[in-house]
Amino acid sequence: MTDDKDVLRDVWFGRIPTCFTLYQDEITEREAEPYYLLLPRISYLTLVTDKVKKHFQKVMRQEDVTEIWFEYEGTPLKWHFPIGLLFDLHASNTALPWNITVHFKNFPEKDLLHCPSKDVIEAHFMACVKEADALKHKSQVINEMQKKDHKQLWMGLQNDKFDQFWAINRKLMEYPPEDSGFRYIPFRIYQVTTERPFIQKLFRPVAANGQLNTLGDLLKEVCPSAVTPEVDGEKKNQVMVHGIEPLLETPVQWLSEHMSYPDNFLHISIIPQPTD
Amino acid sequence: MSEVEEQLPVSPQDGGRGECVEESSDRGAAVGAAEPPPPSAGSPVTEESAAEDTKKKIDILLKAVGDTPIMKTKKWAVERTRTIQGLIDFIKKFLKLVASEQLFIYVNQSFAPSPDQEVGTLYECFGSDGKLVLHYCKSQAWG
Repeated sequence: MTDDKDVLRDVWFGRIPTCFTLYQDEITEREAEPYYLLLPRISYLTLVTDKVKKHFQKVMRQEDVTEIWFEYEGTPLKWHFPIGLLFDLHASNTALPWNITVHFKNFPEKDLLHCPSKDVIEAHFMACVKEADALKHKSQVINEMQKKDHKQLWMGLQNDKFDQFWAINRKLMEYPPEDSGFRYIPFRIYQVTTERPFIQKLFRPVAANGQLNTLGDLLKEVCPSAVTPEVDGEKKNQVMVHGIEPLLETPVQWLSEHMSYPDNFLHISIIPQPTD
Repeated sequence: MSEVEEQLPVSPQDGGRGECVEESSDRGAAVGAAEPPPPSAGSPVTEESAAEDTKKKIDILLKAVGDTPIMKTKKWAVERTRTIQGLIDFIKKFLKLVASEQLFIYVNQSFAPSPDQEVGTLYECFGSDGKLVLHYCKSQAWG
């Protein structure tokens, strides 16, 4: 049988074949060829697209190259959301490769945060890790760690080093032996169809009667519209994490330990069921 | 129970959402220019009798860190959909900081939420005693 640890590797090494095309209105000195790249699901766009920027810079004038930003079918892509989440939410039921448009002009201030350097990505990533631990352990585990341990989490992510990352992250996945799980589960539920950016609430992994709460229990509690069937009994939504639909009977404690992103959050997409 | 509320101009950076940050007054406390001493853990808090879910606004308590200027008014009733960036802009205006000066906001004295985070979500997850305590600082306090 597959070991649970194999799931950790499968999640870490997930990739999305992507085709980057320069926006047609960008001014170029020569024709810009599209650029193909396998994007890590667990990383962030601005962390892994230096080569993309370099590629398009070659055909542009220096003065036209300002902050790069990405868009999919008219929707600006938030670099501070993990790549896998962006794909699952916007493009999971379309044919590969994922076609992303690259922009250097008209930065959409209202939709995107600026990303002037890698330090900003690191700060954002670490803030998410800290927020997750505030929920899981009242910040006790993250605060007990030294600065170098925090740095190791970031370096592991930045350099795609699974072992380096998990040497520290495993501590964030532990809980006291007298408990059955974390204090609260760090999760965020995203739906393109709603106004709100995401749903995040306090949710315990264990019910009052000692039973492990499931993914279905979580959804019923915080996003019931995602799981109520249509009048004809058909499921109208897919509940997706890392490109798959986990069984609703899966305990959220297990999901949190094995299918969180490196920021220690479970990022869950609710998307319309594809129509064939 | 009546609450004295002061309408404040909407920050133009709010994307036209039309929210305002309103001063939330303590029941029984003197209303006016006199600033009461910084609230201790046991000081009275404005209590809404309406259910949490239907409350459009949440109470935020702002605490200064280090040598950052202290807000004359610390308690504010804020729309749930207000973002951290919106709050930062408001505090900077209130403290008369220049746009180039940075301001950091922390939850639980441990993490700085993303600028696009909604205060309502933070209140749900990290609020206590009917309010969300946020620390603000001109420099990075907790990394």
